[in-house]
Formats: sequence, structure tokens, C-alpha cells
Amino acid sequence: MSTSTKDTILSLGKKLEAAALDTLAYAQKQSADRSKVTASCKVEKRLVVENKQFSLANTLETQKVGIGVHKDQKKGSASLNNYDQKGLRQSVDDALALAKFSVPDEYLTMPDSKLATTAKPLPFMWNDRTSSIGLGELQEFAQAMLASLTKDKRVALDRLEVSTTSMWHGLYNSLGVSQSETQTSLSWSFMGMAVDGQDVSGFDYDGRSVYGWDGALDIALKQCEEFSEKIIKNLRPQKSPSYKGPVLFTPRAVEEILLGTILYHMSGASVMDGKSQWNEKINSEVISKLLTLNDEPHLARFSGATSFDGDGLPTVARSLLKDGVLMTHLHDCYTAKRCKASSTASSGGPFALVMKPGQGDLKTMMNARSELLVVDRFSGNIDPIKGDFSGVAKSSRYFKNGADQGAVSETMIAGNLFECLRQILAVSSITEDVSGAMQMPWALVDQVSVTGN
Amino acid sequence: MPMKQILSELIRKEAGYLELRWHKRTSNSFLATKGRVDVANHSLTEGVGVRALVDGSWGFAATADVSEAAIKRAIEQAKANAGLLAKAKGAHHLELRKGKLSTKDFTGEGFIELSNMPIADKLGKIIELEHQLAKSSSRMHTARARYTEYLEEKAIVTSDGANCSFQIAQPEISLSAIAEKDGQRATSNKGAGVSGGWTCLFKHPTLDHMVDDIAKTSVDLLDAKYPEGGRKKVILAPAVVGLLCHEAIGHTVEADFVKAGSVAAGKIGQDVASRLVTMADSGHETIAGYAVGNLPFDDEGVETENTVIIKDGKLVSYLHNRESAAEFGVNPTGNARAWLFSDEPLIRMRNTYIVPGTSKLSDMIASLDDGYLIEGAGSGQADSNGEFMFGCGHVWQIKNGKKTALLREATLSGIAFDVLKTVDAVSSEFQWDLGTGHCGKGQPAKVDAGGPYIRCEINIGGRQQ
Repeated sequence: MSTSTKDTILSLGKKLEAAALDTLAYAQKQSADRSKVTASCKVEKRLVVENKQFSLANTLETQKVGIGVHKDQKKGSASLNNYDQKGLRQSVDDALALAKFSVPDEYLTMPDSKLATTAKPLPFMWNDRTSSIGLGELQEFAQAMLASLTKDKRVALDRLEVSTTSMWHGLYNSLGVSQSETQTSLSWSFMGMAVDGQDVSGFDYDGRSVYGWDGALDIALKQCEEFSEKIIKNLRPQKSPSYKGPVLFTPRAVEEILLGTILYHMSGASVMDGKSQWNEKINSEVISKLLTLNDEPHLARFSGATSFDGDGLPTVARSLLKDGVLMTHLHDCYTAKRCKASSTASSGGPFALVMKPGQGDLKTMMNARSELLVVDRFSGNIDPIKGDFSGVAKSSRYFKNGADQGAVSETMIAGNLFECLRQILAVSSITEDVSGAMQMPWALVDQVSVTGN
Repeated sequence: MPMKQILSELIRKEAGYLELRWHKRTSNSFLATKGRVDVANHSLTEGVGVRALVDGSWGFAATADVSEAAIKRAIEQAKANAGLLAKAKGAHHLELRKGKLSTKDFTGEGFIELSNMPIADKLGKIIELEHQLAKSSSRMHTARARYTEYLEEKAIVTSDGANCSFQIAQPEISLSAIAEKDGQRATSNKGAGVSGGWTCLFKHPTLDHMVDDIAKTSVDLLDAKYPEGGRKKVILAPAVVGLLCHEAIGHTVEADFVKAGSVAAGKIGQDVASRLVTMADSGHETIAGYAVGNLPFDDEGVETENTVIIKDGKLVSYLHNRESAAEFGVNPTGNARAWLFSDEPLIRMRNTYIVPGTSKLSDMIASLDDGYLIEGAGSGQADSNGEFMFGCGHVWQIKNGKKTALLREATLSGIAFDVLKTVDAVSSEFQWDLGTGHCGKGQPAKVDAGGPYIRCEINIGGRQQ
């Protein structure tokens, strides 16, 4: 199976590359000024456990081809899920038909091969062992996770999924850009709650994705244990007392609540459309000095690693925020041209965010306040333009003078993220990997309204 | 040869339970903003999904190659996958309740119209709407018009008798505006989706005067204050009622979620809402037209029905697929849905709603001394314990029986069944109003929801001083 999955992927990749080049040639013949083809294929094996029992075994082999054309500075695109020549050529015609009726845009652009040089491969992204895993081995993996998750009978597991994916994807354009890479992943996700008699805890979920097989089960089992422990602790929640002041965000909450607004105002698209509050703020302090954020697309431990971006430019590690100072906006080729800047190879990115640890001792951060809500998840609305946020604190706990008072329910948090981001009181010296996709610390944030009792 | 016939002939040669589902989706999506067209995309996805039941276990495989040879390979793979699972420790030995399996071929209203309509006319209309909205006020910072249409074609054949096909069209449009004054910004948006054609979409009542309404609301909200936080007496508009039905109740009564221990588990026959509340999930447009979740049959080939979930305040049914129906000893309700050919069917909602009552909205407002009218549904989520949260577009303050000030958006929360128990008035006016976007549950799904205006008590998120 190992060679067959790998061989299948490599063979399909070659066919897709040939189909992509043929499609580019056809688009040129049809008078497209510029054209781009993205293509991918993957073999996926997946097992589903529902309500503590295996419920589905699934194998899939899929392909996808996307075509983008520019004609008279107007654009259109089309996609289909096979690489049949007739279908691809029809898709070129469809994309050109859409471009014909679109609106001219003088800033439309595609990089050439001088700008988009061949990306250096990231060998860690492909793991022969992962590609060779069959459904039988995957089942043993899932069985071990299931046993761990259901050790305590109070855990009501709604769903567990374990899968492997072996994939190839490539990007080609009419200006000579040619990029491709292969990737394997072993992924798992689970969701559930704790039930004890009539008492039902809040719903929660976790999961991650890794490239390699070795050590993956240990990571998964540790996550299962932590998950079970957490949801059981969330039984019998109470409303938190109401107050305005500091709350402590876990790494997951930092990602859910703070990160989106930071990225919105850093995004080239927001800058281009006048929606960013950080336009012309490069090299200025825009948030608390305690926050430093990098994009590191070549880090092996994160699932978003990639050697090239959605325009075909080789990716590079970048400092985004250093001690609260904005280092760059995130541009693709189009937003860069509109903003008279250079692309940061961020089309489809950022890819693997790393928020640096601070100096704060977590225990001290938890004990420093007479009352403190520790927020782990957020279910609510964030308006990135105004920065206002309001919603329910989920999987969260209330601490009084450093002592855990238990899980909370029906407790809402609200505030303004610009105020919060400027008034960060402490950032923890420890960090966690969130869903295997990024690194975040804990953050003690001031000026949050907590509404419970 | 039509795909249904190919699938029928293939299944006839096979032993054991098999479900073959051919699905072809053609979609067009456009996004116009700031005088640009950011998205003008045409997409085609086609393939066959195969589910095999071997010794009480499911196996699934799918192929994008719709040749007979490829489908045969997928059948063998699905059987092998099921066989592997059947041998597994802990494999769930399931049974299926047959239900009313469809043998119909159905072409929905508007499918032909939308399929034949020139792409230039559709894209041109979206560009024009964005332009109109952008020019509607000097305070307009950003206007955005988005359009998506799905042309869905399916054929489903099962070895125990389903043999059906449909063609349905699901277009949707949404407009949004950001107004700006002195550095302050306010947003407003509106949208609608239908199961029908272009003409049907633009007859949706939500889209009446949509450009003028969105422009005015976004500009008016610039000077608006936030509502006061706390537990309040409110009147929820149909879009918000739909969100409450879908997020806060609907998900908790999906039988897979019930089996996992949701708050609705074991509550059949119990009072969970005010006697004024009757709630249902339907595969058809009931009460009023212009819903998007209409389906003649589900992805197991079961004919859809109007499933009453709460009757006069009492919980009477969950939402089922064939497997959960067998487990609960009831009939399947036609709620098994898959997003793509490569997805297995899951229990999903269709059109979820509260049945209208006898009150008039004007009387409900007139008899409220102090409260809010909540309009415009935002995003929402609900938990297994019934705790929900959702956003709303804007709020009208009601004082002494009159709508007074327009207030900014708010976040609403509560425990679903507790909130439904506080309902003291249900209007006779009714509207479907949640037809844009998708419900997410591992896979997306096009659903709708709506209802009458209801008056109840709810938590509004606010700021502590």
C-alpha cells in the first residue's frame, strides 16, 4: 500500500502538471493575456467513531483544478474536480466568458518566473510512513484514542475522526511560474461533552494534524487525556460574578479572540480598501509592547507549512509584530501592486503563526487578581473594523484570589479589542501549540466586561 | 444513458445493502466591491458516492470518474471498508429503518430558468447593485454585493428500493454596507436565498427596497448607541427566531447529537417551551414561500416531510436518518444530507421554523412597556447543554409601547428551552429569513429558518461600567 499510495500521488501529479501546461497553452490560444492553473490530488483514508463506536470507514481519491484568466485587465476563474482535457478547456472558455463581462482593473497582475523563483522543497512535509498507513493501522490508532477518551464513563464522545492524507499540489502560470510540492498528514479531531446524570457540560472539541507517524499517538493520547479531564471539570457550571477588569485568555482564546483582529488590520486587502486602522503604521507601535508575532511557514511542527504561496512566490519567515511595533502588512501580488508595496508572499497566508512567549509566570498571573475569569473559548461576534467583541465565554473558569471556583455558564464577555490589545497586563513565559497550526501564549487582558450574575 | 439508470443497473448486480449517489453541482459565484469584481467564478463538481452496509457496518468510497468501471471499483472499495469495520472491536452493528423511499424524478421551480440565463445578466446585476449601494450616501465607505448559485443534480439508488433524481436551483444574494462618519463606522447587511430561480429570488420579501434599507440603516447606526446589557423582554424578528430555532433547538434534536447526550436527550413528551410554541423542520415550504432548504427526498432516498419537533410546548420528535430511526424505533424523517458526492450523509436540518400564532406585531409592540425589537440575524452557535449565542444586526428600543431609538448590534444568549418557556406572544406574520450562507457540521449544508415574531426574555450582552 505504501508504494501504491506514493506512486498514485506522484503519477497523478505528473498527469496534472501535464494537464495544467496544456490548459495554459489553450488559454493563450484563446487570447487570454495571462492565465494561472492550480491543481491538486489527494488520497485520503478516514475512520469515524460516533457515540463511542466505529461508524464509518472511508477512502477517497480526489483531484481539483482551478483556472484563472486575465483578459483586457478583467478576470474570471473556473474550477472542476477532474483533469479531463475537454472539461479543462471548457473551464478556460467559462473563465474567459466571465472575464468578458467583468469590470476592468488596472492592478490585476501575476508574477513571472523572475519574481516567483523555484521554491526550495520542505522535505519534512512528506513522510513515507504516513502515506503507507492503511485503514487497519488507522483503526488501531483510533481504538487507542477511543479507549483513552472513554476511560471515564462521564465523557460523552459525540465524534472522533482519524485520517491520513497524501497529496500533491502544483501552481503554474503563463509567465513561466512552476511550483509543486507533496505533503502527507495524519489528522485527528474529536468532540464531545461530559454527562453526569442530569448534568451536561458544555460541548468542546480538539484535534491536530502532523506530517509524520512517529510519536503521533503519544501526542494524540495526551490530548485525549487533557480533553477528558477538562470537560469533566466543566460539569456543574455557575454564572460568573459580573465585573469589569482583567480576564486571562488561554492560548486557544488568544487565537480565537485577539488574533483575528490583528490579522485583519495587518492584511493587505484591508489596507487596500481603507479598512485597516494600521495603514501607514509600519514601524509604529500599534499594540502592547508585550506582543511579538512571526509567520514561520517553514516550521516542521505546524500543519500550515508551505514552500510557496497562492501566487507561486517562495514563502519566507517574517517578523509581523515586534514588541508591539508593526513590521509589515501582509500582501499578495495584487494588494501589493494596489498599495505600491512588495508582495510578502502571503497569498493564502499567513501560514504558521508564532506568538513569542513573554515574561509572565502563569501561576502569578492567575493569582494576581482578586477576581479573574479564565477564558478558554469564545462563542460570539467580533467586529474587526470597530474592534468591538461580545459573546459567551465557553469552557471557562472563575478564580477568586487565585482559587478555582469552578466552570462558568451563561457568562458573557464584551469589550473593545483595540483597547484590550493596548492594555495587555502580562504574557506568559510558556506557550502552547494551538491545533498544531500555531504557537500562542496565555495573555492577561484588561478592560473586559464580564456579565454573569 | 442517464446516471440514474446506470446506477440502477450497477446495483442490480450487487448483493447486500448499497446506496449509490450521483451528484453534479454547477455553481457560479460573484463578489463585487469598491467598483471591482473580486470573484467571478464558475465551478463544476461531479462524482458518485457509494455507501455499503456489510454485517451491520458502513463503508464509504467515492469517485470523480463517473464511468461504470470506476463506480464498480468504488463499490468494491466501499464493501471492503465496511468489511474491515465489521471485524473491528467496537464496530456498531446498525440496522436501517426503511421509511418512505422515493422513486420520483423531480425538477424544481427555476432550475431551467437559472440554467439558461446568460451569465452576463447575472454578473451585470451584481455589479449594478454594488454600484447603486456605493452611490446611495456620501457616508458610504464600502459597499459589497455577493451572489452564489448552486444548480444541484442528484440521482440516488439504493438496493432496497429508492430510485429517484432531482434537479434544483439554489440562488442567493447578499448586500452589505459600511458607513463612516468622523472615523466611526457602522455596518448593515441583508440577504436572501431561495430554492427557485432568478425571478423567485428577487421576489423574496427580505429583498424589498434592499439597497435603500441597507444604506439607511448603516448610516443611521453611525449615531446609534448600544443597547443596555442584561436580561430583557424582547420581540425577536423572523430571522432571529429562525436562528434560535436552528442553532439553539434544531442542533440539539438531531438524533446523532441526542445519542451523544445533548440536552434534548430523554425529553420526548416533556414540556420544553411555552404552550404558544410549535416548532418544526420541513423539507418543503410550509406557511409561506421563498425558503431554500426544500428537498423532495434526502440523500438516503427517503421522502422528506414536515417534522413537528415541539407541539404546543411539548417535545415530540427528533430529526432522524434511517439508522437513528431504527435505533429509536421511529420512521426516518428525511434529514440525511451530504454536501458533496465525496461526503457521507449526516443528520441535518432543512427549513426550521416556529408556527405562527394569532398576535399582531403591532399589538405585541404596543403592549410592551420597556424592551427591544431585535432584527437581522448574525452568526450563531449553540452548545450541547442548550446554551446559545448569536448576534443580531440592530435593535429597536421599545418604550411605553412605541419603537423609539435605533440601537447598534448586540449579542444574545440564553438556555434555549428556558427562553422558549418565557414566550408570551407569537405573531401571525411569518417569513423565511435565513437562506444565505451555510450551516456547518463537518460539512456545509444549505438550510433555511424563520418564523413569526415572538416575544420572550433573553440575555443581551453589554458593557459593565
